[in-house]
Amino acid sequence: MTVFLRLLILSISLAFFYFFYLYINEDKYYPGASFQTSNMPLFELEDLYSNEVIRNFDSEEAYLINVWASWCITCRVEHGFLMKLSSQGIPIMGLNYKDDRNDAINWINKFGDPYNQIIYDPKGELALDMGVTGAPETFLIKGERIIAHYRGEVNDMIWGDVFTPIIKKENIFNAN
Amino acid sequence: MLIEVAQFLTILATGLFFLCFLFSNIFNLNDLNIINLISRIYSHSFFLFLSSFLIYVWMAISDNFSVLYIAQHSNTNLPVFYKISSIWSAHEGSMYLWIIFLSLWGAIYNFFTKNNEPLKARTIGIISITTVGFLLFLLLTSNPFETILPLPPENGADINPVLQDPLLAIHPPALYLGYVGFVIAFGQALAFLIEGDSSINWEKQVRFWSIISWSFLTLGITLGSWWAYYELGWGGYWFWDPVENVALMPWLAATAFIHSLSASSKSSILRIWTILLSILVFSLSLFGAFIVRSGIIDSVHSFANDPERGLYLLAFIGLLVMTSLVLFSYRFKILVSNKRIISLSKESFISINNILFGTLIFSTMLGVIYPLIYEYIYDQKISVGAPFYNAIYVPITLLACLFLFSSIESKWQKKSIITFFSNPSNASIIFSLLITFIAFKLYSISKLWTLASLFVGSLIIFRYILVIYSYVFHKKFVNIYSVLAHLGLGLLIISIALNNDFSSERALNIKINEAEMYKNHEITFDNLQLVNGPNYESVRADFIIEDQNGNKFFLNPEKRKYFVRGQITTETAIHASILKDVYLTIGDQLDDGSWIVNVQFNYFIRWIWFSAALMTISGLFLARSINRAKQ
Repeated sequence: MTVFLRLLILSISLAFFYFFYLYINEDKYYPGASFQTSNMPLFELEDLYSNEVIRNFDSEEAYLINVWASWCITCRVEHGFLMKLSSQGIPIMGLNYKDDRNDAINWINKFGDPYNQIIYDPKGELALDMGVTGAPETFLIKGERIIAHYRGEVNDMIWGDVFTPIIKKENIFNAN
Repeated sequence: MLIEVAQFLTILATGLFFLCFLFSNIFNLNDLNIINLISRIYSHSFFLFLSSFLIYVWMAISDNFSVLYIAQHSNTNLPVFYKISSIWSAHEGSMYLWIIFLSLWGAIYNFFTKNNEPLKARTIGIISITTVGFLLFLLLTSNPFETILPLPPENGADINPVLQDPLLAIHPPALYLGYVGFVIAFGQALAFLIEGDSSINWEKQVRFWSIISWSFLTLGITLGSWWAYYELGWGGYWFWDPVENVALMPWLAATAFIHSLSASSKSSILRIWTILLSILVFSLSLFGAFIVRSGIIDSVHSFANDPERGLYLLAFIGLLVMTSLVLFSYRFKILVSNKRIISLSKESFISINNILFGTLIFSTMLGVIYPLIYEYIYDQKISVGAPFYNAIYVPITLLACLFLFSSIESKWQKKSIITFFSNPSNASIIFSLLITFIAFKLYSISKLWTLASLFVGSLIIFRYILVIYSYVFHKKFVNIYSVLAHLGLGLLIISIALNNDFSSERALNIKINEAEMYKNHEITFDNLQLVNGPNYESVRADFIIEDQNGNKFFLNPEKRKYFVRGQITTETAIHASILKDVYLTIGDQLDDGSWIVNVQFNYFIRWIWFSAALMTISGLFLARSINRAKQ
């Protein structure tokens, strides 16, 4: 009886931890990542530099939308990686989120511009439609549909684990 | 420069803590010199670690934005108080604080326990290795010492506005103090198992530490609930959010644990329960850390993060828990008591209490992990919400209270004589029936569960009042703090039931200078103004509320926009009185110019916190009285 009880306690606990191990190792498990597809919402916002109203992004193929702000420190940490992506020819659209225009332009002048185009969203209207909760966040868009969404800083690891698989699957950005 | 010093001190402390663990395992612990050595190494490494934290606090106060974490979470506009509390407003810093508290408990234990007490060196060893595990987690996966050089930002990104609140600044520290305080009980339990000498009364040594940690846990949970009530604007005090649940589970286990302890410290009876519960309490605390830090569950509390953290914590916690359980089953024989539990003795009621609490913990755990299992198998998200928990908690809690009521007259290791029909019990039953009947007839409370809770709650309260009576007038010995804590429980049950039954809410559309009626209260929208705060601007609405007796009061709910992050928060306005709170929040403005105004009448909400406060304070005094008795 007592042997049974002891084995029961041990095996239940072991099963408990093993389940969480499986759960964590499942590839869908990445706290900030979501692969639910949805249509890219319609918008009408100004360009950060030219005040010209933009209704869609100027991109033939798939592109990234990166939500950033000059007040966001994590965006600064992420910035170096975005510069690298941009130098590899991946189109990145900036969504400047709840920011002051001058602060944002100064920020870009100071640190460099990885974006093909930046739209200015001071009230977070488009961001709200896209389900943004903070900055930074990054979206992958193909054929005017959002196919991946990541909340938080994108870096080499996140790029490799979250974005690369779907990029290969969808065969975009000249993935091999 | 300073930040490197802080980091270096932390690394040094990690090494020294590991040395404590190592020495407690390789050296002969019968030698008092060795114990002295271990004890001293521990104090020194704690001192180094504390210094690193104080340096960090100083850097936060002095706006040192070359530290990435401080730049991410603080701002020059913040008052000093929030600059400090911004340290625990996100993952890395709060982990830092958690480990500080973990080692602080160890240091206090180390300081107040004589070196010749059995188990001391081993306990220090266990506390040390737990600390090392978390320190490595901090340094390897969540480094708060990272810098942002060579170009530090001029200003920081500000603390999350909903965390800019005095209560929230103290809620995490209180909760952490409770969570990690159980490391002492855990350490002593493991030390006892390693030692393998069943004649050591470790339960007696550990009671003080457990009750004081229990009090902090109760306080931490209550403060969190209070904050959620007035800050989130939903009007409830408990939402069965997964993270609330993972804080509740250690509390339940801890409650069962301190009750079992009082049985086992008198005789070695219930020792299997006590050891298992001490492992369970700490494991559940660690599990809570894992759930929150791995980001597995979406919640108000979760931190943005990467999966490495989850994996590390899972591995570390798994190793710690499995080792203790293997040790437990290996030493199972020395835990078995030759005494039998006599039916209707105090021990028998405590065993039943343990089983009922175990059921609650199991069901809560199921509610937390079932959605994960479901998602894993079927790839669909489901959620388990309040109806599930209410259905389980209400009957089991009431049942546990009935057993508590019958146990009041029972004796240790003696069969008590038909407790139900002795005089004080009879009187309590009659009195409670009367109360329930009055509530049913005069106040037209008709829900079965409300009436049942009312009955059970008054049963406990009245019975304990009689206990106090005989304590005061017949000098009959009772532990008065334990009585007060249980009175708190009775009051809590009644307040929760009545709150649930009476409270109501309604969303109204009101234009400026117009009034609406809700439940005999006239709500007049008097004015709307713009107000500027130190780091936000705000739309403030002025309302005049008049109740049926002509009493007037003003309420000013706000919508704030914080400058730095552009975040919008809703500030509730609450008029508190003994019986009820009038609770106002404003929403958006509609096209016709009217505003959405949400009105809630929350009854007995103050009583809920009063009961919890009573339990906390009684716990602290109980711990003090135990400490005195020991000396």
